[in-house]
Amino acid sequence: MAAAPAQRLRFLAGVALGAALGAGLVRGFVADASGQAADATEERKAVVALQAVTSLVQRAGGEGEAVRKGVAAWQARTPSVSQVRVFVADGMRLEGSTAPDDTGERAAPRRLRREEKPLYDRAQRIAAAVRTNREEQQARKPEIEAAPVGGGRLSLAGPLEKQSAPAGLVEVETALQPAPARPGWSRFLLAFFAPLAIFGVLALLLGEKRVPLLIAGVVCVAASLLWMGRTALSEIARQQERGAQAVAERVREQAAITQAISASEAIQAPAPDPGSWDVDAFRQPRGLLSSDGSVNAQRLADEVSATGRELRRTLLAAGALSLALLLTAGLGGLSALGATVKRHRQAYLYIAPAILGMLVLVFFPFAYGVTLSFTDSNLYNTSKSIPEIWIGLGNYADILGDFAFIKKGEGGTFINYLNFYWTLLFTILWTVSNVAIGVTSGLILALILNTKALALRPIYRVLLILPWAMPNYITALIWKGMFHQQFGVINQVLQALGFSAVSWFDRPATSFLTALVTNGWLSFPFMMVVSLGALQSIPADLYEAARVDGASRWQQFKAITLPSLRPALVPAVIISVVWTFNMFNIIYLVTGGEPGSSTEILVTQAYKFAFERYRYGYAAAYSTVIFGILLVYGMVQNRVSRATEA
Amino acid sequence: MDILRRILAIAVAALVATPAAAATTEIVVWHAYRAEEKAALEKVSAAYNAKHPATRVTTLAVPYDAFADKISAAVPRGKGPDIFIYAQDRLGGWIEAGNTVEPVDFFLDPETKGRFIPTTMEAMTYKGTVYGLPLNYKEITLIYNKKLVANPPKDSDELVAMAKKNTDKAAGRFGLAYAYSDYYYHAALQNAFGGHVFETGAKPAINNPANVKALEYLLKWLDKDQILPAEPSTALITALFNDGKAAMIFNGPWFLGEIAKDIDYGLAPLPRIKEAGDKPMRPWMTVEGVFIAAPSKSKDASYDFIKFLTDKDAGIIMALEGRQSSANKSVYADAKVAADPVLKAFRDQVEVAIPMPNLPEMTMVWSPATTVMNSVTRHAASPKAALDTAQAQISKDVAGLRKK
Repeated sequence: MAAAPAQRLRFLAGVALGAALGAGLVRGFVADASGQAADATEERKAVVALQAVTSLVQRAGGEGEAVRKGVAAWQARTPSVSQVRVFVADGMRLEGSTAPDDTGERAAPRRLRREEKPLYDRAQRIAAAVRTNREEQQARKPEIEAAPVGGGRLSLAGPLEKQSAPAGLVEVETALQPAPARPGWSRFLLAFFAPLAIFGVLALLLGEKRVPLLIAGVVCVAASLLWMGRTALSEIARQQERGAQAVAERVREQAAITQAISASEAIQAPAPDPGSWDVDAFRQPRGLLSSDGSVNAQRLADEVSATGRELRRTLLAAGALSLALLLTAGLGGLSALGATVKRHRQAYLYIAPAILGMLVLVFFPFAYGVTLSFTDSNLYNTSKSIPEIWIGLGNYADILGDFAFIKKGEGGTFINYLNFYWTLLFTILWTVSNVAIGVTSGLILALILNTKALALRPIYRVLLILPWAMPNYITALIWKGMFHQQFGVINQVLQALGFSAVSWFDRPATSFLTALVTNGWLSFPFMMVVSLGALQSIPADLYEAARVDGASRWQQFKAITLPSLRPALVPAVIISVVWTFNMFNIIYLVTGGEPGSSTEILVTQAYKFAFERYRYGYAAAYSTVIFGILLVYGMVQNRVSRATEA
Repeated sequence: MDILRRILAIAVAALVATPAAAATTEIVVWHAYRAEEKAALEKVSAAYNAKHPATRVTTLAVPYDAFADKISAAVPRGKGPDIFIYAQDRLGGWIEAGNTVEPVDFFLDPETKGRFIPTTMEAMTYKGTVYGLPLNYKEITLIYNKKLVANPPKDSDELVAMAKKNTDKAAGRFGLAYAYSDYYYHAALQNAFGGHVFETGAKPAINNPANVKALEYLLKWLDKDQILPAEPSTALITALFNDGKAAMIFNGPWFLGEIAKDIDYGLAPLPRIKEAGDKPMRPWMTVEGVFIAAPSKSKDASYDFIKFLTDKDAGIIMALEGRQSSANKSVYADAKVAADPVLKAFRDQVEVAIPMPNLPEMTMVWSPATTVMNSVTRHAASPKAALDTAQAQISKDVAGLRKK
């Protein structure tokens, strides 16, 4: 191993790397959170303004000169808003506008112009959202839309309602406060150099001792990150409080303005509760303000601690990551890695193209699938980003946590065929029975074909391999046709023999039988070829010796044939278990899961969740579970086959 | 050397000449048409290009299998066409996913709106907003073998009487054959009884009493009247009709190409059902619409083209040469179109046809509905019980989709 001073140097490098990574991550996350808090405050303030002017418009009757006057007066007193537009769907009218362009010939009221299509579409979208949320009695579609329009401005739009039905749109454009400057580098530098310096001093004192050096390094980095995180957390809490105060102030200001305008414009309708102006995108009050427009301390504290918890979790992860880096570097992991790469440079170069291909074609889709399994991705939200639809282990809990595959209903007990454990049970039954049929029939046919005296052996062999040579979906469709209730050859033979026709796909048992027969037909040739090859490699003198010893045919089979077949058959069985477990074509084409998804195996079920029920996240979780099962099987199988090799 | 120089000179000249042409607006149309439909669409776009030198419309045929997925993947990322042609069944899903289909409600003047068959316009409307212009529609109607049926039946009594006369199960002959265990085909009967899949607000209601009655009525045809074959696959229906063993079938325009040359067939509207208060069978129709892609850079020009494509003159070309049933009412006033028995038959049928729901929730319905149809027609469950199971399944799936 390395010379004496290396220990200290290595740990010093580890502390430097760990502290740099940790401080960098913490700084990034905190800047992000603080930016988000600032944006949220700005948006809430803008929403309050929008709600205030909407209430004014609504109280002025929603249309006519009163609306235009009210809006103009409101605009004059609200400098933070650069323009207001009021749109009424009936007749596609721009009912009022304070936009600088909308004067003279373009002054409201007028019909929308062709280039104002986005305003109309926005109104339609919001109206549909309001109606959808009412019909479904939940908050799913945003009723207030906010979009940046460039130049540091935000455009907000909310519905204008007439007799509580959406009848138009109120849109405001507000200038945002410039985003707070990103935190300076001073804290980052302190959090980087302080632990480095302290560790340097400690290292000099401690000398070349591995464990104390390690402890000292971890403590130094952890303490500096802890300090950095704590200060940032309390700063963000203060920022949130300031934000709440700012929103409250905006509410009071707007309350005063609307009151003054309704007095001067003689608007009779009762004034609304200003506390309810602070709403989320679904127009549901956030409850952070009480009805007189002051901050509700209790609710604010709840919200602050909720945000804090979330940020703390992220910061802890960042800290763990940087400590891991420290340990890897300090304990010599990094230098070892560097050395290997250097030593086997050529080997790594050779496999680089293959690794690249696998990254793109295997690892990326796999990682994407696994990531998707933690989301609620479905037909409705394909355009949303992954963090927005993240639900953690929800899908896995749904799949694995539902043990109720036997349900009691009105008509007695019945099996819930969509339950994961039923499908798993069925898949195992399907795999075991298929492999058993494949091996037995393949072995018997191989033994027959191995008879030396058999005439026309090559012809039989070719005929028996044919089912394997045909594309399996064609075979599957042919068999499905043969099981047709009225015109299928199997029922016609049954009827010719005096039995009544069977509706094969009506009951789970008969439906299973059709798939079993089809797959049996497809799987015996493989087993037959494998066994035949192994049979022909058994030396004939073994049998001769056995005969001389007076062994019967059965004894010969048990003592010579079977053990000699084992090295060939065990891998064949292992591989056909995996094939059958995932035999999509046969199930999908022959039974199609009929009746009522009872004959579905795991992969076809996953397919149906994805492409018939359009629950991509759920289907991804399903597939990940299937992968897990096969992984466990693969590991067990590896151990077993190593045992057979030995 | 000399030749090379000349080629270079030509190339330079071409380069210099292009800026004049660069002012044209390029519009790309994706469709899944082949053969005569493709040729008709190309003819219409060529006519448009000739008339509008400032715009250049190019059409691109995309294989049908991958078409919808391609739209879902390419369009929201701004890699797709300006215009695409597709049936209304995916419309709701694309709108909910966002940034795929541009609403055209704003462009639509009452005159343009008025030129379409109202139900086809309804198919293009999602939650109160129009998202495309209807191009054509497809629905099932009654197709009969003229050798076996002289006059097509007007109502269910006549239908059953004629069908019974033409049924001989031992010989494999049936008076009536259609894919009744396919929910799409069954919908015609269901709608006659006033059935539906969704109530307002896309609330699943597949187990409503009318749907139960419709299934019970289907069982009457199947068990009491014994006029239908068992397990009716589309291949079976084709074989029966082409062998002259099915007197009447319910099928759509896609089937006409598969009819054998020696079969003399006629088309007529689906019969009225006496047991449903003498109401007509009302098939589901799919309406192909022309949609503008939301990220398109030339929406105004695109709208101008889709207006042209769904206008009378284009509609006549699409009808006579592309064999499409135009959604434009005035197309049927054309003498040649009016004289076409096939186009006329589908035009008559569309009067009572109902657009298939364009809600994304509809995708949750097909699989449970297929189970209902299979278990009921094979007598594995009663109509009510099967529909109740399906209702529970659909409600669960829809709720799973909608939860935040």
